[in-house]
Amino acid sequence: MSAAISRSAGWQSLLPLVVIAVVAVPLAAQSVTVRTVANALHVQARGFSFIEGPVLTRLKEGRSVRIDFELTVLTKPDGPSTKQAAQGFTLSFDLWEERFAVSRIGSPPRSISHLRPRDAENWCLENLTVPVSSLGFGRDTPFWIRLAYRVHDVAPEVNQAPDERYTLRGLIDRLSRRREEADLAKSVDAGPFRLP
Amino acid sequence: MARRLPWRRDMRTLALLFVLLGLPLVAANAQEADAPEGAVIDAVEISGFSLYSLSPGLQKDINSLVGSPLNREGLNQLASRIEQEQPEVVAAVRGVSRPDGKARVIFLVARISDDTDLTENINARYIVETVDVEGPYNEISQQLRDDLQKLVGRRLDTDEAERLHERLEKELPGRDVARRISKGSQTGRIRVVFEIFEEPWIRFAPTRSKLVYHSQQGWSGVLDIPMSSSRSRHRFTAGVAFNDIDELIEEYSGFRLAFESRVIGTEKLGARLEFSRYNQTWEDATLTALASNPGIPELYRNRLTFEPTATFAFNPRVRINGGISISELESLSNSPNSQMANAWLFGISGDHLWQGSNDVRQRAEASYQIRAAVKGLDSDLVYKRHLGQARYQFEQGRSEAIASLSLGYITGDAPLFERFSLGNSTTLRGWDKYDISPLGGERMFHSSVEYRYSHVAVFFDTGSVWDRNTESKIRYSTGFGIHSDNSFLTVGFPLNSDGADVTFMAGVRF
Repeated sequence: MSAAISRSAGWQSLLPLVVIAVVAVPLAAQSVTVRTVANALHVQARGFSFIEGPVLTRLKEGRSVRIDFELTVLTKPDGPSTKQAAQGFTLSFDLWEERFAVSRIGSPPRSISHLRPRDAENWCLENLTVPVSSLGFGRDTPFWIRLAYRVHDVAPEVNQAPDERYTLRGLIDRLSRRREEADLAKSVDAGPFRLP
Repeated sequence: MARRLPWRRDMRTLALLFVLLGLPLVAANAQEADAPEGAVIDAVEISGFSLYSLSPGLQKDINSLVGSPLNREGLNQLASRIEQEQPEVVAAVRGVSRPDGKARVIFLVARISDDTDLTENINARYIVETVDVEGPYNEISQQLRDDLQKLVGRRLDTDEAERLHERLEKELPGRDVARRISKGSQTGRIRVVFEIFEEPWIRFAPTRSKLVYHSQQGWSGVLDIPMSSSRSRHRFTAGVAFNDIDELIEEYSGFRLAFESRVIGTEKLGARLEFSRYNQTWEDATLTALASNPGIPELYRNRLTFEPTATFAFNPRVRINGGISISELESLSNSPNSQMANAWLFGISGDHLWQGSNDVRQRAEASYQIRAAVKGLDSDLVYKRHLGQARYQFEQGRSEAIASLSLGYITGDAPLFERFSLGNSTTLRGWDKYDISPLGGERMFHSSVEYRYSHVAVFFDTGSVWDRNTESKIRYSTGFGIHSDNSFLTVGFPLNSDGADVTFMAGVRF
C-alpha cells in the first residue's frame, strides 16, 4: 500500500514537469531573438517556418511564390507600433539543383540561390530589418516584436475523391487543408527585448 | 585604374547572360564552335567574375583543367561548384574549338539579381524542352497552340508563360488552368505543363445574385452566397431576396437555402435540395386585374417551397433532371388557410461550345422543362407548365451577337408564381410587365437579338404573353446600352406602345 502511495506521489510530482514540457516545447520550437548589426535590428525566429505545406508544393511544381513580411516593433504587448518594416520576397525552387532561390523585391535587388529550406527562410529574415535609430528609445527600454508573413496567390488544394469525402481519411484531409490555409499567413509575437 | 561605369557593367552582364543561355550571340560566330569531347584544353577563362573570389581548392581545380581532355560533365560540375560557393550568381560553361583543334573553356558567370526573369523564378535559366497541355487540347484555338509551342527551345519566359496561362483561361471559361514545371529529359531542360481541369458533367446552378433597377418597377436585389470552391463537388448556398420584382409577377422577399452535389458516386449523377420561404407583396395593377379574373388562383402572402431534384448527365453537354416541388401558399385574404402547389418536375438541357480559329467562339444552349402539379401529390392546384428556351451566342474579337427564344405554355390552374411574364430587365426591355399583363399569362413567346461591340449593345426584343381565352398581341422593343461582363446600363423603347415611355434599366448580376 505504501509503495502504491509512493508511486502515486511520484507521478504527481512528475505532473508539473509534464505540463511545463508540454507548454515549453512549442515555445522553444518557435523562439524569437533579436540582434543589432550596425544600425539595423535583425530578428531570428527559430521554428518560424513558411516553406512547407501548399507553399512547398507550389515551389516543387516549379512555380514561384511571393511572400510579404512585416516586422513591427511594439512598446507593449499588443500595444502601439513604434516602427514597422515590410519586405516582399520571391521564392522559387531550382528543379535541377534541388535548392531554393530567393529574391528580395524592391531596390536594391538582391538574390541568392542554392539554399536549403531553413537557410532560405533565414535569408528572408536577415533581409528584414528596422533601423535602430528610428526606434526612438534607449537600451533600457523594453520592446516587443511582431513578425508576420502572408503568402500571395496560393490556394490550398480542394480536390478530393468523392468516396473519401465522408470517410475518416476525408476528415483528416479536410483538417489538414485547414492547417494549410493557416500556413498561408502567420504571425508571432515575442518580447520583452532590450537593445543589445 | 579607371572606375568601371555601371552601365558598362550591366551591358556586360546582359551579354554574358545571352552567352550563358546559349542564345545566338556567340553561336553566330563560326570560329567559336563547340569543342568536341576529349579535345585538349589549352586555356580557361572566367567571365563576369574573379577567379580569386573562389576557394583555393576550386581555383586549383579550374586551373588544372589546362592540358586535360575536355569533359563536359566535369565542367558542369565545376560550374555547379561555383554556384554553390557563390549563391548570388548563376554559372554556365562552354568549351569552344580553336583552329589548332584544342579547346578553350569559358566559365560564364552572372548575378541572378541582374536578370528579372531569374529573380522571378530561378528555373528561367533553363531551356524549355516541351510544352504540354493536359486536358481538352482540341478546344484550344490553333493560334494559341502555336503560341504555346513558341516557348520551346528558349529560356523559360515567365511573363510570356503567364500571358499564355491567362489566354487559356479566357478561351476555356469555367475551367481551371494550372501551370507547373518539371525536369526535362536532359540536364538543364524543363517541361512546362498547362493542366486544364475538365468541365464537370453537372454544373452548379448559376448564382442569382443581382441588384437591378428598372425605372418603372424599382429596385430588385438578390444575394446568393455559395460556400464552396469552383472545383468542389458539393456546394451549399444561402441566399436572400430583397423586393425582387424583376423575375416574377409577384414581388418577393425572403431567403433560400440550397445544397447541391454534382457527383454522387459518379460524375454523371447529381442532386439538389432547396428550401425557400418568400413573403409576397402585390402591385395595384395585379390586385385590380385579379378582381376581374376570378378564374385565376388566389393571391398568397407567403410561399414556402421544398424542392428536391436529381440530375443525370449523358455526357458533359446533355443532362436530364427530375424531382418534385412542394409549395405551400398561405392565402392573402384568408390566412392561415393555404393551398398546395405540388408538382413533378422533368427537364432536359444541352449546351455546346465551339472554339474556332480567328478568335471565333460560338455557344448554343437549349432546355425544356415541364412542371406537372397533380392530385396524386396532394396538390390543390392542378396544372402543367411547359417552358422551352434556346440561346445562341457568337463572339469574334470585340463583337458579340446573341439570339434567344423562349416558348411557354400552361394548362390548368397555375398559381401566380408559375405564370409567365414579359417586360423586365431581360425580356421586352422597354415595356413594363404590369402594362402588358399584370397577372402574367398562360402562353408566352419571346425572342431577342442583341449585338455588342466592345461594351456597347443594341437589341431588338419581340414577345407576347396571353391567356388561353384572350387574343395574343405581339409587342416589340428596342434599345441600346453599355454592358460589361456582369453589369449593364440600358435604355429601352417600346415600339408599338400607345404611349412613348422610355425605360431605363441598370444593374449588376454576379
